[in-house]
Amino acid sequence: MSVAAVTTGLGKPKSSEATPAADRRRIRTAFAFLAPSLVGVVLFLVIPVILVIILSLTQWNLLTPLKWVGFSNYANIFKYDAFGHSLLVTAYYVVLNIPIQTVVALGLALLLNNKLRGSAFVRIVAVLPFLATPVAMSVVWTWFFDPTNGIVNQLLGHIGIAGPAWLSDAATAMPIVAFANIWQYAGYNMLFFLAGLQAIPPSMYEAASLDGAGKLSQFRRITLPLLRPALLFVLVTGVIGSFQVFDTAFVLTNGGPGNATTVANLNIYNTAFQGFRIGEASAMSVILFLVILVVTVLQFTYFNRRTTYEMV
Amino acid sequence: MASVTTVAPTAATKSASKSGKTSVPGRGLRLTGYYLILLIIVIVFITPYLFSLFAAFKPLGDILGQSPARPPTSPTWANFRQIFTQDDFGRYLANTLLVTVILTIGQVTFSMMGAYAFAKMEFPGRDALFWMYLATLMVPNVVTLVPLYVMFAKAGLLNTYWAILLPYTLGVPQAVFLMRQNFMTIPKEVMEAARLDGCSESRILWRIVVPISKPIIITATLLAFVFGWNNFLWPLIVTNSNSLNVLSVGTANLNSNFADQWNLVLAASLVALIPMVILFAIFQKYIVRSISLTGINR
Amino acid sequence: MKGRLRGRALARAVVASVALVLLAGCADWGVNTGGSGGKVTLTYALWDAHEQIGYQASIAEFEKLHPDIQVNIENIPYNSYEQKITAEYITNQAPDLFWVNTPWLGTFVKDGILTNLAPKIKASHIDMSQYYPQLVTMHSRNGAIYGLPKDWDTIALYYNKAYFKKIGLTIPANLSWNTDGTGSFVTFLKQATTDTSGHNALSPQFNPGHVATYALGTYNDPQSGWGDYVAELGGKVIPYPYASTTSLDTPAFKQGLSFLTSTLTNDHVIAPGSETGPNANGNNLLTLFTEGQIAMWQAGDWNTTALKTAVKFPVGVAPLPIGPAGRVSIFNGLIDGLNSKTKYPKQAWELEQWLGSAKSEAILGSGGYVWPAIKSLDPLFQQYWAKQGIDMSAFLTEARGKVANFPVSSGMGAALLQIDNDLGPAWLGSASVSSAVNQAGKDGNYALKTGN
Repeated sequence: MSVAAVTTGLGKPKSSEATPAADRRRIRTAFAFLAPSLVGVVLFLVIPVILVIILSLTQWNLLTPLKWVGFSNYANIFKYDAFGHSLLVTAYYVVLNIPIQTVVALGLALLLNNKLRGSAFVRIVAVLPFLATPVAMSVVWTWFFDPTNGIVNQLLGHIGIAGPAWLSDAATAMPIVAFANIWQYAGYNMLFFLAGLQAIPPSMYEAASLDGAGKLSQFRRITLPLLRPALLFVLVTGVIGSFQVFDTAFVLTNGGPGNATTVANLNIYNTAFQGFRIGEASAMSVILFLVILVVTVLQFTYFNRRTTYEMV
Repeated sequence: MASVTTVAPTAATKSASKSGKTSVPGRGLRLTGYYLILLIIVIVFITPYLFSLFAAFKPLGDILGQSPARPPTSPTWANFRQIFTQDDFGRYLANTLLVTVILTIGQVTFSMMGAYAFAKMEFPGRDALFWMYLATLMVPNVVTLVPLYVMFAKAGLLNTYWAILLPYTLGVPQAVFLMRQNFMTIPKEVMEAARLDGCSESRILWRIVVPISKPIIITATLLAFVFGWNNFLWPLIVTNSNSLNVLSVGTANLNSNFADQWNLVLAASLVALIPMVILFAIFQKYIVRSISLTGINR
Repeated sequence: MKGRLRGRALARAVVASVALVLLAGCADWGVNTGGSGGKVTLTYALWDAHEQIGYQASIAEFEKLHPDIQVNIENIPYNSYEQKITAEYITNQAPDLFWVNTPWLGTFVKDGILTNLAPKIKASHIDMSQYYPQLVTMHSRNGAIYGLPKDWDTIALYYNKAYFKKIGLTIPANLSWNTDGTGSFVTFLKQATTDTSGHNALSPQFNPGHVATYALGTYNDPQSGWGDYVAELGGKVIPYPYASTTSLDTPAFKQGLSFLTSTLTNDHVIAPGSETGPNANGNNLLTLFTEGQIAMWQAGDWNTTALKTAVKFPVGVAPLPIGPAGRVSIFNGLIDGLNSKTKYPKQAWELEQWLGSAKSEAILGSGGYVWPAIKSLDPLFQQYWAKQGIDMSAFLTEARGKVANFPVSSGMGAALLQIDNDLGPAWLGSASVSSAVNQAGKDGNYALKTGN
């Protein structure tokens, strides 16, 4: 399974109509364009990642000298740190989060992509949650979901329903975490769809409607295919981000009740910075990375199989 | 009204764009439905903010002992006064602004250049490099902060603005990916025509790609700004003098295991929020604006 | 067009303001250098913005006495404190002197972050007997001492005076409890719990589905919650300081926990675990107390400041009930750790001495910030709060009586976090006490084993 093979959506290299000298110049230019971000990515991301892979084979608490332990961290994280459980919890979160978040974001974008009076205001309002800091949000969620004095249960109480203890009930805690995240990021993802919608020439709709295509068929035949790059971005970054969810779970439940919302990244955080078991936390990071990589490659493969001519 | 050429395939917009020409029966009803939906959206998204707004003007006792839905009985500026006089939020605000502006300009410019190379240029190893960029997004950054921190310490850069800025200013994979996706939708004939006319690649980028890609570039700019503005963990780790504090760190300092000062936290969060809201209010119209202004549909 | 112009004006404004900040802010673009001239600059780290005010007053006095030393206070968020001190230590950036909370003490000692002050204490002839002896013990290991005690705290029951007046109940000075549910404490709690129709839990008409006020609010916590009940049965989290295994599998531990999570919970006299946080972590007990939904709040004295701002009724403080092994509060206190790699050990020791001296502790005590660790100064703190209308003597009674030290071992912070997570289901009623305790023991042992 070659990585390059699944990366279509990039044009096929073409060698015609170019002299070797022009080719060399073009390659030089390309690397000149790439240079600053490449330096940044290599220095501040790739090198630390390689170091983390090395650390995953060691025992280290930041202070003692590194001790080589081979692959034993990879066994210990499943045996002692319930990392398998964390992965399952994370997968559950991703499944709850991604479809709803994507549909809500797309819906918001379609609804607000116009110049009607008021929609500009609503666009700002929808993005507000993305601007919030986690520390402020923690108190806000308490106002809503506290079992006794929370607004949700007080409202339910008015209509005679005794609401559950949302965050300390294993059945509702994770859906609430997912809800909070959807609330926070729906407007953010809406931005990408809005930007994507701008790239669709209105002439295409005009042509289609002259051909007598209905709105639904215009949506299916024009909007969705042309939104595919934006959709791919939202899905890929959304899945990557969801597998690494941390803030919301940390702030709302800190992993509880029991370990029902101890997502992988929270486990990694606790292992690294409460237990100071950097080696184990690194091993967890490597495994989570591999999981995300597989899912991302699958996403790209799927999108490429369905790539149509519009995608370059 | 003729300028309304942005057409999204929703019932409401369709009817609106036709409004100049014909009068569709039931249009009023549809508009009412549309605004009803907008109202629900606004309530869902704004209520928590309304409550935090109330709280920022209440003393701590009222925050703890009153329903958050209740507007402050006697609004007070005391919380704001306290964070700006007893604490040093003026300084934190200035630090945050400085760091965020530089970070944003660098990140957007360099990521855009990278994105253009990935989307519209050909060079050996392109796909592999792009996957390398993407792959770095997939590694949880909690643990990578450890080696990164040690690297900055070895370089003698801890406790400087450089430390806060550098990792995010040379371009980040997310922004590269975002803009690459968008640049790919530009028909390749546009570039080829320009190349045949003898345009250099940087001229193509700045004169052709940038003008027609404003929505995505502004989106990337806003995202970089928000990220820089709210970034917490890294600035916290690499600085250790309160004179280098950014807003997020200053705000986190207001709570402790002994006592939470939610009145101050929410006032500080409001102070942090306002510049971003203003920025969004100004720039959101560039994200959604008529495509006919871009010149792509000649 | 207008938009573009405005955009440009905005850009200009932003550039101008950045330039202004650069010029005005004497911005730190270079590598930080220490003090200038003959003056030494010390960094002192803490995590509480409220106590910082008291410490600033104390340090101002110190700087007057030592004109050649300047002290910069660095406030670090509590949730990142241990991590940041550790990270700064490995890169030689750690503060010269810093607050140390007991969960991290063992790890800091084991890793050599803290200076052994015993020789300095001897050379400076500091009278260690002026402090509570338990605090000295807590911060010592094999003859080494890692800090001068500055303050202490115990756990007691804040109570709502208006509520007890309303139901016509006074709190007896000595209540007792037993593992089988007998004793005056349980009966008293039943009397103090009322449902929405005003019946108390002793009444046959009492409706446990509609409790208006629970007598007690406590939570899943080694210090303010189960820790005290386990201690009142002679139980402990670890068998001895710096142990690398827990002692959770003792009968005392299980009985102490199940007294709260079974006996009192089944009697409907304490706020159910699910009402106090995702793992019964007590996040909202202050709110339940201010709203009158719990009559008594079991908590440490450091909550008094927040409580005073929040409540609209008079508050009293009752001592803990007496268990089979007596009345035993968990006892804790802070020291200042002296960075073992500081560039200025002499000056840092001066500051350590000052902050552990009667003069400084009097400033903090009389300002109502903390109970001074120097026994003779305790009245100062008590008087401050008496003037505010709260009689704090119950905390003092406990400190002068039998106490159990907060457990100290390397890896304790991680172990306690894991233990609380595992005990959560017992509080929520979704797991039995013994299965929760077994899991907690297993995970706690792993944290201590890998921490040591």
